[in-house]
Amino acid sequence: MGNFFYSEFFKNMRIQDLATEWSDATRSELAEGFLQLLLKLMSLAFKLNIKGYKANIEHFTGRYVFRSKDNAITASASFENGRMKVYDHVIDRPDVTIIFRHDRALMDYLLSPRPDILGSVLRQDVEVRGNLNYLYKFAFMAKRLQLMATGAI
Amino acid sequence: MSPAYSNYLHVSLDTMPRIARLRAAQIKQKPQVCIERAYYVTRYLKELADPSEPIQIRYARAVNFFLSHKRPLFFDDNLLAGTTTSKPFGAPVYPELTGMTIWPELDTISTREKNPLQLSSAEADELNFNIFPYWMDKNILEVTRRKHPDLQGLTLMEKFVFFIATKAGTISHTIPDYRIALARGLDDLIASAAAQEEHLIRTGTASEQDAQKLAFWRAVQIALTGIIAYAQHLSAKAMELADRTTDKQRKEHYLTLAHICRKVPAGPAETFREAVNALWILQVAIHAENINMAMSPGRLDQVLYPYYRRDKDRGLLSDMEAAEIISCLWLKLNDNTNLVPETAEELFGGAGTVPAVTVGGINEAGEDAVNELTYLMLRVTELLKLRDPSLNARYHYEKNTPAYLERVAAVVASTKSVPAFHNDVADIRTLENQGIEPADARDYAVIGCVEIGVPGKTYDASSAIMFNLVSALELALYNGRRPVTGDDLMSIETGDPATFTHFNEFWEAFKGQVRWLLGKAIELNEAFGRVHQEVFPTPLLSAFFDGPLQNGQDLIFGGARYNASGTTHIGFADTVDSLNAIEKGVFIDRICTFKDLLAALKADFAGFAKLHAWLVSKAPKYGTDDPIAVKNSQNLVRFLYDFYQSHINYRGGRYKPAYWTMTNHAGQGKLSGALPNGRKANKVFASGITPVSQAARDLSACLRAVGKLDGLCIPMGEALNLKYPSCDTPEDIQKFAQAIEAYFRGGGLHVQFNILSYEMLLDAKKHPENYPELLVRVSGYSAYFKDLNNAMKDEIITRTEYDLRRGKSNPFPASDEKLLWYK
Repeated sequence: MGNFFYSEFFKNMRIQDLATEWSDATRSELAEGFLQLLLKLMSLAFKLNIKGYKANIEHFTGRYVFRSKDNAITASASFENGRMKVYDHVIDRPDVTIIFRHDRALMDYLLSPRPDILGSVLRQDVEVRGNLNYLYKFAFMAKRLQLMATGAI
Repeated sequence: MSPAYSNYLHVSLDTMPRIARLRAAQIKQKPQVCIERAYYVTRYLKELADPSEPIQIRYARAVNFFLSHKRPLFFDDNLLAGTTTSKPFGAPVYPELTGMTIWPELDTISTREKNPLQLSSAEADELNFNIFPYWMDKNILEVTRRKHPDLQGLTLMEKFVFFIATKAGTISHTIPDYRIALARGLDDLIASAAAQEEHLIRTGTASEQDAQKLAFWRAVQIALTGIIAYAQHLSAKAMELADRTTDKQRKEHYLTLAHICRKVPAGPAETFREAVNALWILQVAIHAENINMAMSPGRLDQVLYPYYRRDKDRGLLSDMEAAEIISCLWLKLNDNTNLVPETAEELFGGAGTVPAVTVGGINEAGEDAVNELTYLMLRVTELLKLRDPSLNARYHYEKNTPAYLERVAAVVASTKSVPAFHNDVADIRTLENQGIEPADARDYAVIGCVEIGVPGKTYDASSAIMFNLVSALELALYNGRRPVTGDDLMSIETGDPATFTHFNEFWEAFKGQVRWLLGKAIELNEAFGRVHQEVFPTPLLSAFFDGPLQNGQDLIFGGARYNASGTTHIGFADTVDSLNAIEKGVFIDRICTFKDLLAALKADFAGFAKLHAWLVSKAPKYGTDDPIAVKNSQNLVRFLYDFYQSHINYRGGRYKPAYWTMTNHAGQGKLSGALPNGRKANKVFASGITPVSQAARDLSACLRAVGKLDGLCIPMGEALNLKYPSCDTPEDIQKFAQAIEAYFRGGGLHVQFNILSYEMLLDAKKHPENYPELLVRVSGYSAYFKDLNNAMKDEIITRTEYDLRRGKSNPFPASDEKLLWYK
């Protein structure tokens, strides 16, 4: 894990723990728990407004559903009035739904330095239903979070 | 060389130091994302637009707002004023089309591995916080999805592997005609539109149709006024720079530019330089409204010739001055590039913006049209060796001289890749067969890669659909499924091939899959087209076409004189060879059962070495005289033509098939499983209409096989890519020209070359630093070899290399055989 969270938010044990857990998940083969950790970390980063991160969701309204193909993992996120809410169930009226085979596939899709988007789609490891622009925005926010967490920005 | 004309061999980069300097700078230039257009268009629509106005007028005002605010920039001492973007080498963002696909990459696009584009953090923030959010629900793709939530074609397209309907990302691939604008000036076109508007106001019926016409004519005036504003700003800036400098030559340079931009394109061009600069400003302006992809300037040796001739006759223009001006235009046409997300680099990596310039051929009266400018443009192309413009040489074997053909061949030998050759006799015949008047057909030019259209008369949208034929073949092999996705039914069930008793059953199954997929692709293209009509009309582009101004009908509503939609095909040769292998191997020679073949394909031939060897070396191959291969290739071309011609698009034009692939054959090949022709999984497909690499060993037979395909069934063009290791001597050039002549007389529509050996290309892949300017012909356009993705590099490396003198293929280096499609 890079220096940003450790340097500026060292005293915030919660974000440190989350960042470490997330980092571990992204390094592990299965990336187990990646999605939940990403959403928690994102939510916290908005609350703490790290490096002006909150500006990304001011005036933004969007509803996201993430679920694994076998429905073993379900999570949702909604953005409204500059706030992010995370749910452990499927919410209605999503702008976009991302269906993935497993955590690792979702992580590769969103965050890999060389994302295997073509491969993910071809193997149907990841399927997207709905407005792609919402996915692009989310992918940007996730990538920026990753870059912040690793001290790249 | 034609005895009548100079071939401009006395012109060189040594005699044009300005051009040598500008070229060196251009080659070194790194691309940057330019947000200027996105910023002004978005700002206008978000903050200033009157929602009660018709969309034509609102969008025209947005274009005008951008052009009126576009920064007048002079990055260097190019003799022409005007820049496509605010960067020396810029990639403009079109958020209403596919610009938002780079959103996930805003923080990393500057440092990504393949073809990075510089983007400042301030500009990335502007896109992230202000521009992209506005378009989230408004770009073509998402408006279409909202209006047609059950459109199956959209779901299929987003699986990448079947087809791409490009209209979500572009109104392009067409040839505006600048001749009228150059001769009369934009003020005159604006006055014409105003007169039409006033006349209809006086005489009209206030019907919905009349309201549309009034809005269109108004929109044209607004959009064209924006171009004049931009030119005036260029003039004022040039004057300011002239005032600021004490250097006499620079002052003169800027004063001349100030004078030109004050005069054109608002007024008629009178000199050669005015005409070229006016044309360039119009080309820049078109991209204020439409994406920078294959907006082709057309037959520039014809368009500009009256100005050249007049200046020459009056002693106002030297050869060197003319060469400098055309060189400056060629450099300007390279000042922009595409904005492509990293994933798309896998499919399209290295493509330029492909503004095609066409030279030579015959004129509208049917006579030899080759002139001094033709030779000048060939010479400039030979000297500059730039990615764009994509130069195309028309050749009419009954009207053009052999000397002209040999000069074009010599330029190809010198540049190693350009220009491409187009057969006037066959091209004109196929255009006439599509209902185009003979005089119009004779005035055809090349659109983007290899497609043919009539400047300012045909609105072709020539890349509307890019269809992967192999995906239909796979669906037929697996009864509507794909091996990579298991049991999920992707299309329709056309039967289990293991139960087929005759080849015809498989052929019918394959055709069933093609019909089903293409039906979905066409449905999607129609939906995109209608959404474009509702949200992004094109009054500016329409002003440079014959028809819209007279009829009051925008180009995208069918205002052009001739309309069409083009569909190109990926994997033609691999599909034909697979059909050949099935027919011969399963049903005639009974080398294996269909069940065995499917098992071999699923195993990528592991454990099926004997069968694999037969498929690779014994099964009939397209590009030879084998009757099965000839029959299947001709049947496939005919079947596709008949299918398309029965479909009329939303503008009233027919669908037209083509066979060019850009870099899609490499990208799609990487996504496909093993094939019955012995091609292993994830290997690239053959390009365009070219036979599979190493399959056609005899050059004459290869040219015969391609030439025999009915040109009338290929109305949107084909790309035949050939490779010679060298072409050094006058005798070589003569043989080169003779081969083209024979191919064209045999019916071939198009051919293009790389004059590069296996060894050199392999070395260029291993040591790209030693080949920074190595230009190659891909499948309809040129690219710097270093910019291509590895799959595309491999495809170009493995293309059959023919020894020009022997007419036979050279053996592929054994040390690199792993690159071949069957390894």
